[in-house]
Amino acid sequence: MYLLKTKLNRRKFLAYSGGTLVAGAMASKFSTIKAVASVHSGQGKESKTKTVPSACAICVNKCSFFADVKDGIIHKLNPNPNFFKSRSMLCARGNVGAKVPYDPDRLKKPLIRTGKRGEGKWKEVSWEEAYDYIVENVIKLIDKYDNRSSIAFASTEGLQEEFFRHLTSVVGSTNSVRHPTLCLASNIQGYSSVYGTMPDADIANAKFVVMAGSNRAEAFITPDTIDLAKRHKEQTFVYLDPRATKSAALADKWFPIKPGTDMAVVLAMINVIISEELYDKEFVDKYTHGFDQLKEHIKKNTPEWAESESEIPADEITWMARKFAENAPASVWYPGRRSSFTANDVYYRRACAILNAIVGAWDRKGGLIPKSSISLKSHEFIFPLYDRVKSRIDGGKVNFAVDILPDYIKSNKGMPKDEVAYLSETDGSWVLFRDAILKQKPYPVKGMFIYKQNPVESVPNRSKTLEMLKSMEFICTIDIQMSDTAWYSDVILPESTYLERWDPAHSLSGVAPVVIFRQPVIDPLFDTKSMKDIAVDLTEKFLEKDEFWVDAWEEDKAYMEEYVKTFKGVSMSRIIEHQLSDYPGAYKMLMEKGCFYKTDKIPYGETLKEGVRLKTKTGKIELANVRYPEAGLHDLPVYQKPSRLPQGKYRFVVGRHAQFTQANTQNVPYLLEAYGDYENMLWMHPKSALKQRLKDGDYAIVKSSVGEQRVKVKVTEYIRPDTVFYLHGFGRLSKWLTNVYKIGASDAEILEDYAETISGNALLHETFVEIKKA
Amino acid sequence: MSENSRALKLAEDNLKFANKRRNAKEKWGIVLDTSKCIDCKACTVACKMENYVPVGFYNYRIWVAEDTHYAKYPKVKRSFQPSQCQQCENPPCVHVCPTKASYKTADGVIMVDAKKCILCKYCMTACPYDARYENPATEAIDKCTFCYQRRAEGKDPACVETCPPKVRVFGDLNDPNSEVSRLLADNEYTVLKPEKGTKPKLKYIK
Amino acid sequence: MTANVSTINVFTKNEKISNIWLIITLLISLLGVYGLFNVLINGHDVYGVTRTVPWGILISTYVFFVVSSTGLCLISSMGHVFGIENFEVIGKRSIILAILTLLCGFGVIALELGHPFRMMLYNVISPNFQSAIWWMGTLYGVYLIFIVFEFYFLMKHNHKGAFYAGLGGFLAGISAHSNLGAVFGLLEARPFWHGPYLPIYFILSALISGSALIIIIFFVAYRSPSNMPEKVVKVLRSITKIFGFLIGVLIFFDIWKIITSIYGAPPEKFEAVQTLLSGQLRVNFWLFEIVLGMLIPFFIIIFTKGRNIKASLFAAISAVLGIFYMRYDLVIAGQLVPMREPLPGAHVEGALPNGLVSYSPSFTEIVIVVGAIGFCAFLYLVAEKYLNLNEE
Repeated sequence: MYLLKTKLNRRKFLAYSGGTLVAGAMASKFSTIKAVASVHSGQGKESKTKTVPSACAICVNKCSFFADVKDGIIHKLNPNPNFFKSRSMLCARGNVGAKVPYDPDRLKKPLIRTGKRGEGKWKEVSWEEAYDYIVENVIKLIDKYDNRSSIAFASTEGLQEEFFRHLTSVVGSTNSVRHPTLCLASNIQGYSSVYGTMPDADIANAKFVVMAGSNRAEAFITPDTIDLAKRHKEQTFVYLDPRATKSAALADKWFPIKPGTDMAVVLAMINVIISEELYDKEFVDKYTHGFDQLKEHIKKNTPEWAESESEIPADEITWMARKFAENAPASVWYPGRRSSFTANDVYYRRACAILNAIVGAWDRKGGLIPKSSISLKSHEFIFPLYDRVKSRIDGGKVNFAVDILPDYIKSNKGMPKDEVAYLSETDGSWVLFRDAILKQKPYPVKGMFIYKQNPVESVPNRSKTLEMLKSMEFICTIDIQMSDTAWYSDVILPESTYLERWDPAHSLSGVAPVVIFRQPVIDPLFDTKSMKDIAVDLTEKFLEKDEFWVDAWEEDKAYMEEYVKTFKGVSMSRIIEHQLSDYPGAYKMLMEKGCFYKTDKIPYGETLKEGVRLKTKTGKIELANVRYPEAGLHDLPVYQKPSRLPQGKYRFVVGRHAQFTQANTQNVPYLLEAYGDYENMLWMHPKSALKQRLKDGDYAIVKSSVGEQRVKVKVTEYIRPDTVFYLHGFGRLSKWLTNVYKIGASDAEILEDYAETISGNALLHETFVEIKKA
Repeated sequence: MSENSRALKLAEDNLKFANKRRNAKEKWGIVLDTSKCIDCKACTVACKMENYVPVGFYNYRIWVAEDTHYAKYPKVKRSFQPSQCQQCENPPCVHVCPTKASYKTADGVIMVDAKKCILCKYCMTACPYDARYENPATEAIDKCTFCYQRRAEGKDPACVETCPPKVRVFGDLNDPNSEVSRLLADNEYTVLKPEKGTKPKLKYIK
Repeated sequence: MTANVSTINVFTKNEKISNIWLIITLLISLLGVYGLFNVLINGHDVYGVTRTVPWGILISTYVFFVVSSTGLCLISSMGHVFGIENFEVIGKRSIILAILTLLCGFGVIALELGHPFRMMLYNVISPNFQSAIWWMGTLYGVYLIFIVFEFYFLMKHNHKGAFYAGLGGFLAGISAHSNLGAVFGLLEARPFWHGPYLPIYFILSALISGSALIIIIFFVAYRSPSNMPEKVVKVLRSITKIFGFLIGVLIFFDIWKIITSIYGAPPEKFEAVQTLLSGQLRVNFWLFEIVLGMLIPFFIIIFTKGRNIKASLFAAISAVLGIFYMRYDLVIAGQLVPMREPLPGAHVEGALPNGLVSYSPSFTEIVIVVGAIGFCAFLYLVAEKYLNLNEE
């Protein structure tokens, strides 16, 4: 009885987490699809041109576009003027999408490894052969370790990731690991601990903007980037970054802040605003919790103290604080999309959120605005319940969690030592996850499915990732190009590019949500499939193997047959029609205009209405978090001095360039040309370069405790003397990335693999390097 | 159809289209507010896609250069200068071309008739803006055409359309009600190398 | 008179031209054939020219050839056009070499042009009368016709015909050549070239080339002054004096060109001249242009007072070598200042840290140049060997 109960509970949970999306096309009221209707022909029939609306997939923004197709070949992707979120633009990467399907380096057929791991010897196989190989290995592993969780599933976001998550549930593993802990998990945690949600910034209406580290000009081109650039004359923009990136071009002031001390500046600003009584008293009284504690807490955080920490002059900090209050609510400390800098990141983000709250710049024009989304109809599948399943390898109490913390913070009371306090069940914590696999604690994980992600290049400490891959008995990678991870895999399934496939409708959440979708702009050029087809095909294959189902319930197989039937032979357009069936006319608008939205106006003040509760425990903005003490954390943001710069070393910082999406687009020649070089370069201040006897254009060896790389030196005034930087995504290991294979330097190779233990986020600015002439 | 023949066909189609528009009354120009530019290179890549400009570091019609400033850490300034063919009203490249391969349309756009180009490269030495290059795809000199093919649908040139902060505004300088005319009326502006007497139709807002 | 014509010996055999030289020059020409095939197979990528320096050594060699051709024609016209009696002895040799250098010049530029055949068609059906290149090309075509006729009449001892053809050649040559100067001089974009200086300078330097080459070819024909008829020696002495005087004028021209280009550092001119004085072309400039091209010949002629013809030969060889570099430096220096500052992102091809751009001829370009010069020498030697180029 007891067993059944837990099983049912778990079933409920899996159904919830497994299928937030999609489907049930049988339920669809609309019987005809006018997929082709959206493909209206352009001028002159003889030239055979057509214009196809779809959405980009080169970064997470998913900007809608109209593809201009001539004689069956993509000529140009043009920005969609209806898609207000992109402000009718398509960035360099979005434009180059037109060449993605024709990339000679892309994966064209399923491959099975014939040589040693990483040797690069492959045989082309049919999909059938590849599937058989996979199914055989999966069953072998489950039997060998008597544990479905011995197979890990790593993936990154995308409109087809849902299907990969279905596959995870079909196989029955609890070990899924996703990108957020390499990205903004700590940021989300920090803001959510104050507001119960991660807000956006209303840059289009803000008058005073502070960005710390968010390099809006060079990272993804978001609406914020565009509004910042468009409005730079009427807006005051203060930019804090150890590097004068291209964002500095828009800034009224740039401060080369000492890395890891951003929080000191925020606390000092809060200090000035409170001590000078510049805060919004009415707002604070009505909407916040814990102001008195905060007031007491920040007393010592004076601008003078912050100057000694951050090297930003105290009077400038005071000026920033006063301006921030003066312009409120049109003031924003930009929440950003930056990864974690240092171990104190969650507290730092909390401080940022609090700063905005005390001046009342929340859910008002020009401040921080909670995101909303358009809810789409979805089908919740019931995935099997297996007996041979163990809980997450990085979940719960993990006695080696303390090992992922940098030394200087190990004594910090507000930092868990034996677990990740707010570990996401679906995302995990990459750094801890990898350590757990290598330690085989509490059990061995010996198989891996990887979708779209490239942990070799994206997780700090590349050698360790390779070691982890080496310890695997089976690795299957699904991608469109031979990523470095694919290079070390056993079987590779080539996915169709985003221009060759249907993707379900998706609501882009934000201050004004909008729905996009994808449809094939051209037919698949090669023997490739979408993740959806792969997931369904593999499920079908598993259904054929009775030995796979020995630890499942009777009805599980039937559920899975239902799952297959839901997708098999059902066109995606019907699924999308169903998803949008709550909104009359939405499907037509989506197919014709390339996007669907209810309004492009920002609905201010929804959370400030009488009786509306935020998703915090008190329902208010928690300046002092009520739940944190329960988890052994500080309720208020406590500053932690960053580790001291070791003698003769430099702090290595990471960053972006507008041509490259993570480690994905470096191999595109058009983008390398736009970037302006064929390799990345080590930014060094002239003084530091002189000290190391390096000249512009010399090659240097950059060495950390985990690895070293050889890289060309760029001497520049645009960086702090104690800090160095080079761009992510170069110096690659996959020979099929012909333009960047062993060209330039990899940051994953030298980044030390620390993480903080509140959200589990990897720490990207905790690495110190030695530099010498190569 | 190969990429090369598509590139050549584009040049031919533009010539035909220019002939059709021989009575056009417009004078196309671009007004730029470079202070908005973040050097994202959307324009340069869009141009390459739209106009079949082949891969190659020096195969390009448009560019974004970073200005030089007196900069000593920590007082630094950065700014960018996107540019392309200035579509001169007094175009030296057209004057010097021995075979009239370089020509000016009725609406003032300078283009190259790839079939007539003998690749003497005189226009390249004559252009004060280094706006021309030898295109291996068409085996002729190639340059910005304001995406002349897009005039058919009344669409902005690719660089203008795709730009995130809309640094460039494209329009008819002869129409006093156009946005370009309005911007020029409301702002001080400059052109590149005015001393060369080329009378550029790319105007930079100061 | 017509009866006489048929009795004139057009063909003869000059035993002083050894077959070894024919073979050597022919072998050198083969280098050019290699270059030719390389271009035909691999296209213009094998050239060192760039987006910023679109005109390279092939253009400067073309200029060198046509400068020589024009100079030969102008100097020789003193005899049969302007009637300076002694100068008639140089007519045939000058004109045949003028034809050959012009043809070789055409050959080199045909290789530089992307579409030489297209040029022939569109120069005719789509001419641009505003284009200096169109005029230059057309006038050189006309010039070629005149000097071919001139040579024919000279060979046939038809003085009247030679006079008219020579006059035509003289006028066409001067027009064509000053137009070549204008090809550069009309470029507002390139301050180093722009202005009336180059058309005038080109005529001056043509006369120098012509004088020097005439001295050289008479040595080729007679091997040494002792074999030369008195008349020839006399003419060569006169030409030496003209040659020396013109070099003096050239030095004068050059000094003022340089002073006006550095005084007050006029933009772009200054930087271009600096590439000659102290930049990447400094060896070319000081060693070849100044020392070999001007100082050595000038002082040889001053110190020998133009009487020692053997010394004149050295002066002439030195000057011709120098002039080759002068053409190269002129063409290249004018392009080394880029039209846009080589800023990050500007993608200025060949940019150097000093803000200028660089050009160095590729191997293919060099072998084409060497081959063309070798071939020209070969053709001349053949002409010298088998044609009766002596007066009388």
